[in-house]
Amino acid sequence: MEFPSGAGSIRVLHRVSLDVAYGAMTFLVGPSGSGKTTMLSILSGTLSPTDGAVEVMGERLDQMRDAELVRFRRRRIGFIFQQYNLIGTLTAAENAAIPLIADGTKTETATRRATDVLAQLGLADHAWKLPRQLSGGQQQRVAIARALVHEPALIVCDEPTAALDAEAGQGVMRLLEDAAKSPDRAVLVVTHDDRIYRFADRILHIEDGRIAPDADHGEPRHAH
Amino acid sequence: MLNIALKMLMGDRVKYLGLALGIGFATLLMTQQTSIFIGLLTWGANPVLDVREAQVWVMDPRVRQADQPEALSDQALYRVRSVDGVAWAAPYFRGPSTLRSADGALAAVTLIGVDNQSLIGLPPANRAEAANAIRGRNAIVIDRGTAHLVFPDGRDPVGQTAEINDNRVTITGETRALTTFAGLPIVFMKYTDAISITPPERNKLSFVLVGARDGVSPADLAARIEAQTGLRALTRDQFARAGVDFIINNTGIPLSFGIAIGLGVLVAVVITALTLAMFITENLKNFGALKAIGVTNQQILQMVMGQAWLVGFIGYGLGIGGTAAFIFFGRNDPSLQGFSLHWQVVAGAALVVFVIVSASAFFSVRRVLKMDPAIVFRG
Ligand SMILES: Nc1ncnc2c1ncn2[C@@H]1O[C@H](COP(=O)(O)OP(=O)(O)OP(=O)(O)O)[C@@H](O)[C@H]1O
Ligand SMILES: [Mg+2]
Repeated sequence: MEFPSGAGSIRVLHRVSLDVAYGAMTFLVGPSGSGKTTMLSILSGTLSPTDGAVEVMGERLDQMRDAELVRFRRRRIGFIFQQYNLIGTLTAAENAAIPLIADGTKTETATRRATDVLAQLGLADHAWKLPRQLSGGQQQRVAIARALVHEPALIVCDEPTAALDAEAGQGVMRLLEDAAKSPDRAVLVVTHDDRIYRFADRILHIEDGRIAPDADHGEPRHAH
Repeated sequence: MLNIALKMLMGDRVKYLGLALGIGFATLLMTQQTSIFIGLLTWGANPVLDVREAQVWVMDPRVRQADQPEALSDQALYRVRSVDGVAWAAPYFRGPSTLRSADGALAAVTLIGVDNQSLIGLPPANRAEAANAIRGRNAIVIDRGTAHLVFPDGRDPVGQTAEINDNRVTITGETRALTTFAGLPIVFMKYTDAISITPPERNKLSFVLVGARDGVSPADLAARIEAQTGLRALTRDQFARAGVDFIINNTGIPLSFGIAIGLGVLVAVVITALTLAMFITENLKNFGALKAIGVTNQQILQMVMGQAWLVGFIGYGLGIGGTAAFIFFGRNDPSLQGFSLHWQVVAGAALVVFVIVSASAFFSVRRVLKMDPAIVFRG
């Protein structure tokens, strides 16, 4: 992967391949600018690499047309962002229901499902609140619900705890672990935050766009 | 997704109301000004339309509209009567005069002299009473709608004496004339009375009003009259239209209304374009997140269009409602007479609002459509 930079371009990822196992939380850690977010964007189909092949869960993302890529993201990926990115004028349940609604589920059905997921995350009483009526940790839990509601096979989280204090961060990670870890789902967490490393089943180190050699565990799924 | 989009917008009360009110105000400005403009134009036709019986108007070739007549010779009446196809021809005087009321106040008026026998030219409203009132010597019938310009204190004009061009007259009755563009108070007298109290240089026949014989079309008759008399003869429709054209071509009215209507359009464009652009910019990251999550560009386009159309529709409704209320509550005011909300104006404004909100929405959403969803991961 290269990004344009001044007159030329810089290569930020070099032929990487990583295994993110189902039923586990895999952490991708490394210094700032090492390519973590870029890696995550490519794996989740939000960014198309300048060259090379991308295979995720058996699908060749680099060969997909835009519409297929969007469908891949909508059905197979759950996203958790650092800044939550909840829509301020929608309730927690409506926010969490968006992946289903976008995929054509009726709004009512979708919000009902989202409310159930919110309940699993301890937000049963907050489903009808607006994001600004919730604490940061609660908002991130709504974002987790949004990432889980459509039962995706891969959940990607970019710095999920960076905007939270230590305690809220731990709480969010505990809930993520409980709710997201499932035998047919992989969770990839990009983070700097060593206070949450203990939630990792496996930690991959990335530096200068290269993933440090590490032994494989579990049932691997490849991303090149 | 449309549900979600509308909730998204309505949750943002300030923008939602701002947009709806802005579009409402612009719609009001556009439709109200257009209605007034159309109303004023019809006033140009009213002097002609108020004489229902006349199918053809005969005049000096230099005349361009009813309120600026040129004197005809008395012979004109007889020459017109001799044209084949003329069922009747009546003299009609129309000219500016000065009326002094009993307390000495002066007012410029339009004096109309109607044929002594047929009284053709007296407005249809209140016809029988007015016809009766106008019979006496130097009796005048005054237009109720503009009488307050002569008697500002609200006094009942009927029964008052006054002077027109220094001749004593008595106001014996009222009628209701269509509002004219000139806007002067209108007084009616018998033709011979009107001629006799008008100074010699102007005491001449203004128009010959003509009815066609059964089976003769007014247009054919007008052509025949022109050919035989050398005068100008126009059908009722043509002459009414000439009154409208006169306003269009000789006053600043089209320009000033054009500016007001243009301002309405501009307000609509600026408010919707800016507010929608602001709404999009503020929600750019959220739209990015939606795109990452898998909302398609088509869905985003639908969302933003749906939002724009909803506020456009509400704002449009408010504006049209405002104009309708203005016209409804002004219906008895002579200075608003003849104003109505034509369906063409309603439809035209709907189209303008639709185009403006659609275009604004489209231009502001383009940024989102082109945006790379990966930006949501960037700080
Ligand atoms: N859109 C872009 N255009 C140009 N350069 C980019 C772009 N995105 C990332 N880069 C560059 O690519 C490299 C990797 O960026 P990336 O965001 O993946 O790092 P990161 O590991 O996530 O860093 P951080 O921990 O600070 O979030 C950096 O040098 C960055 O400047
Ligand atoms: Mg990053």
